[in-house]
Amino acid sequence: MDLRAGDSWGMLACLCTVLWHLPAVPALNRTGDPGPGPSIQKTYDLTRYLEHQLRSLAGTYLNYLGPPFNEPDFNPPRLGADTLPRATVNLEVWRSLNDKLRLTQNYEAYSHLLCYLRGLNRQAATAELRHSLAHFCTSLQGLLGSIAGVMATLGYPLPQPLPGTEPTWTPGPAHSDFLQKMDDFWLLKELQTWLWRSAKDFNRLKKKMQPPAAAVTLHLEAHGF
Amino acid sequence: MLLRDCPVISKRKPESMALFAVFQTTFLLTLLSLRTHQSEVLAEHLPLTPEALKVSVNSAQQCLHLQWTVHNLPYNQEFKMIFQIQISRTETSNVIWMGNYSTTMKRNETVHWSWESELPLECAAHFVRIRSVVDDARFPEWNFWSSWSSWQEVNVQDSTGQDTLFVFPKDKLVEEGSNITICYISGNIQNDISCYLEGEQIHGEQLDPHVSTFKLENVPFIRKGGTNIYCEEKQRKAISNGTVLFVSKVLEEPKDFSCETRDFKTLICTWDPGANTALDWSKQPSQSYTLFESYSGKKKHCEEKNRCNWQITQDSQEIYNFTLITENYLRKRSVNLLFNLTHRVHPMSPFSVQFENISATSAVMTWKVHSLGDYFTLLCQVELHGEGKMIQHNVSVKANGKYLLNELEPNTEYVAQVHCADDNHFWKWSEWSGRDFTTPEAAPSEAPDVWRTMKSGSHNVTLFWKPLSKFHANGKILFYNVAVENLDKPSRLEHRSIPAPANSTELTLDGCSYQIRVTASNSAGASPAAVIVVSAAPGNKEIEEEIIEGTEDGFSMSWKPQSGDVMGYVVEWCDRPQDPLCDFQWKKLGPNTTSTVISSDAFRPGVQYNFRIYELSTKRIAHLLERKTGYTRELAPSDNPHVVTNNLTSHSFTLSWKNYSTKSQPAFIRGYHVYLKSKEEQCQPGAEKAVLPDDTVCCQYKIDNPEQKTFTVENLKPESFYEFLVTPHTSFSEGPSGTFTKVRTPDEYPYMLVHVIVPVVICVVLLVCGCLLKSQWMKDKCYPDIPDPYKSSVLSLIKSKENPHRTIMSISDCIPDAIEVVNKQEGSKIQSLGTRKSLTEPELTKLSYLYLLPTEKNYSGPGPCICFENYTYNQAASDCASCGHAPVSPEAPPSQWGLLTSSENLLKALEKNYMNSLGEIPAGETTLNYVSQLASPMSGDKDSLSTNALVPPPCSEYKMQMAVPLCLASPPPTENSDLSSITLLGPSEHYR
Repeated sequence: MDLRAGDSWGMLACLCTVLWHLPAVPALNRTGDPGPGPSIQKTYDLTRYLEHQLRSLAGTYLNYLGPPFNEPDFNPPRLGADTLPRATVNLEVWRSLNDKLRLTQNYEAYSHLLCYLRGLNRQAATAELRHSLAHFCTSLQGLLGSIAGVMATLGYPLPQPLPGTEPTWTPGPAHSDFLQKMDDFWLLKELQTWLWRSAKDFNRLKKKMQPPAAAVTLHLEAHGF
Repeated sequence: MLLRDCPVISKRKPESMALFAVFQTTFLLTLLSLRTHQSEVLAEHLPLTPEALKVSVNSAQQCLHLQWTVHNLPYNQEFKMIFQIQISRTETSNVIWMGNYSTTMKRNETVHWSWESELPLECAAHFVRIRSVVDDARFPEWNFWSSWSSWQEVNVQDSTGQDTLFVFPKDKLVEEGSNITICYISGNIQNDISCYLEGEQIHGEQLDPHVSTFKLENVPFIRKGGTNIYCEEKQRKAISNGTVLFVSKVLEEPKDFSCETRDFKTLICTWDPGANTALDWSKQPSQSYTLFESYSGKKKHCEEKNRCNWQITQDSQEIYNFTLITENYLRKRSVNLLFNLTHRVHPMSPFSVQFENISATSAVMTWKVHSLGDYFTLLCQVELHGEGKMIQHNVSVKANGKYLLNELEPNTEYVAQVHCADDNHFWKWSEWSGRDFTTPEAAPSEAPDVWRTMKSGSHNVTLFWKPLSKFHANGKILFYNVAVENLDKPSRLEHRSIPAPANSTELTLDGCSYQIRVTASNSAGASPAAVIVVSAAPGNKEIEEEIIEGTEDGFSMSWKPQSGDVMGYVVEWCDRPQDPLCDFQWKKLGPNTTSTVISSDAFRPGVQYNFRIYELSTKRIAHLLERKTGYTRELAPSDNPHVVTNNLTSHSFTLSWKNYSTKSQPAFIRGYHVYLKSKEEQCQPGAEKAVLPDDTVCCQYKIDNPEQKTFTVENLKPESFYEFLVTPHTSFSEGPSGTFTKVRTPDEYPYMLVHVIVPVVICVVLLVCGCLLKSQWMKDKCYPDIPDPYKSSVLSLIKSKENPHRTIMSISDCIPDAIEVVNKQEGSKIQSLGTRKSLTEPELTKLSYLYLLPTEKNYSGPGPCICFENYTYNQAASDCASCGHAPVSPEAPPSQWGLLTSSENLLKALEKNYMNSLGEIPAGETTLNYVSQLASPMSGDKDSLSTNALVPPPCSEYKMQMAVPLCLASPPPTENSDLSSITLLGPSEHYR
């Protein structure tokens, strides 16, 4: 392979560019903070794990509730579940969320869902089911902590619960057990949707927080290396 | 209508009964006088209609609680009254229930009464009214029904939204197997509604346009989380609402309720609780259990579901009357138990079990028991397990137990255990406490069972012994001692020690008699000796073998004693006669036994077993008494003999199967059957017709001697096919139906005729056929056509190049010296003979010509002559070499040959041919054969040139050339060959 004069100048330019960017490459910047990347990755992994865990738990719990709650096409009205945080959001709105708001919504949602989920444990009499629910609650608590960690890394404050807005799971006297079962169904469904959305959220954050080393690599590739 | 679950309350306001009693008599006397008048007034003016009717609702219980009063009752005294109650549903005219309620009441007293509805009260409006009658014998004139109270409406409106569907009852708790009615209120929903119970649609009836009811009978328990009943709008396919029916299992009465004490401090009561009736969603906890003792009046809530501990106080209470009460939200059950405490003593298990003074046959066992007091004696049971046996002993014990275990076996592992019970009032044995121990070894108690085999014709004795049973060995046998003593001459005892577990040894003895003593030894000592004497002269005479019939259980055999004074008998045999080691066995029998049954697990059907019965003399010398042989079960022979056919003649043949062994068969061979198939319908004498399994008919010859292994089939027809089969037969079957072997009897004529003539004829025929097929090839090889020299192109070549000055003599100028014309059918051969001088050699080396010259004596130089180029011969030879081209002259008619018989005609013909040759010589115009007189007779010409060849005249000095196939005389020419090279003779031989 013969190099012409023009190529030599190009290589020299690339070398200079690389040297210019070297201080910005996190891997080479030993003294710097690794940034939020690893903690976001961990949060993302935990979200995926919880998705998997919930799939098993929901199957067991809905079977415990019996038909029609364990039927695949069961879609009850959202009667008493209005207080649950909704995961569904317009796509444009979701895209326009900034990092702080995105993380805050996740944190708030799981705080509420965790509280509701603990209410499930009170009703289930099967020891095995209680154990599964307790295990999942612990995992979900871990996710909450992980999100809090990401927020702290990025310098965002944790949302403070307003006094009197603590989520409760105390249905009124007219709330029948059947409607309670419906609410349980919605809780599990909403939790599933939230975990799915969170995976998307953290994936987006992960990509966004990736170090600029990739840009250098792309620059080098553009010159035929 | 259900009345049982609703609390039916009927109360009156409390009043001062004492005051009433004081004045009752006074008032009664006064009242009696006025009775008649007052009665008339009441009947006319005082209606007893119930008033102030109030209805309250218990939705969960589905109960209506009614309370009312009757203001117009006269006097302040109790009246016995009957109230008739009517309940309507939906509208007042729809009376669904009517009943009477009898009670006593006073004026203004409030009466309470409850009614349970089977339909949830939310499902429909209910209406209630009451009327009354005085049912009192004192006031018969008031015995008439009052008028009805006004209708009181009961409407439980739980439905908060008109567009919402409601299902009632909400979250009801019922018992398994009960009947329940549910309903839905659809409000303003116009769509059709379907309801389901656990996915199965249920059908009900419409109460009104917005209310439908469903009766569920005998509801089952499905899960603790409740049975889901839900309704959906058919068009929306969306679940609108539902309810959860919590079905509880029926509370069972505790079973096997029992109490006992182990230490007089605590009573332990146990029972079988049955099914758990707990339900999830906090609907119903597990049933509770409470223990109540009636004498002390104490009660205890039991924490566990199947047992409860009751502390025994020190007040010397002996009799206890317990009631175990179990209840849940729906039901309450109880069971009673009355007992004396001292009769329910279950001692604790003994402890410190020890063994003392363990010997080979005995041991002392000691143990301790937990004391129950000075007045209690325990009955303890000692169990000893060992060698698959169990021995029980009972011992009465106060505090420490002790028992001597005797009659134990040496070197045996035992397990001894003890348990105890109250000796005065047996209730239950305690748990076992035990330990194991092993008794030490003792010397073997019995001599080993020894026998021997002796090889005939040698002095080798193999000594066998059976291992001692565990019972007799009394320990682990370490080795066997063999002592050999010569009985005929005094000599030193020979000792031999064989380590266990060997069970045989071989001794080489001389011709003397020997006494052999065998003992078995363990760590504790040696066993008694087994003595056997080997006689110098065994005297085993030839004894005929007797066939015995065995069964699956063994061989039963008997023998005749020969001498009266015997020690016993021995039967020996091999369990596996086919094996080289044979698994030698023997059985010793007493002197009075003359029959036995030999059985073994190793015996197999179809195996021949041989038994030898020996008689043991008082000197312990064995004499062979009888020999027996037999099968436990004879099997059909599996193979037929391999038969060889001998001495085949036109009328007979001999079958031989001498290699067939009758001994190794799975049954006694009793003879053979020879089957013969032939086209003849009749069997020969000595044979009889038999039908084979495949329904073919053949002749059967029977041979009853199993040792006769040849058979000659006679009286057969020559040149006939026969098929035979030889099969053995036993007492019950014969061998397998194998394939028949074919035999053809030969012709009566000497077969030399066939052996010699037929091959010769075949060879001749093949030869002739070959010749006919290859006739052309033969011809080409052996007598090819000689080409016409005139047709050779060489002549023109010679004329133009080689010898331009040479003039070719005209045929008319030539005077033939001699011309012979051979006229044959196929053609003629002309031989030209000349005695002219030879040409000069240089000329001949270039070209070889055959000159036909006149025989003039003064001829001295070349002159006109006829010249034949021998190239044409070569061409013919070449054709021969090509083995396919036949140089024939189709244009020469046969008649032409006749013209050549005169010399004139010949000359003309020659001239003509020559002239032709000067010009274009047409190929294939050869009409003459020029044959040299020296032509070899080996040419193979079928025209027999050799025989027709003429003797050359003596004057001739030239050898004539001849056409000889190159394939016979010379190598084939090449394309570049010089013309001279194809001359058959060398240059020196051309001219002599």
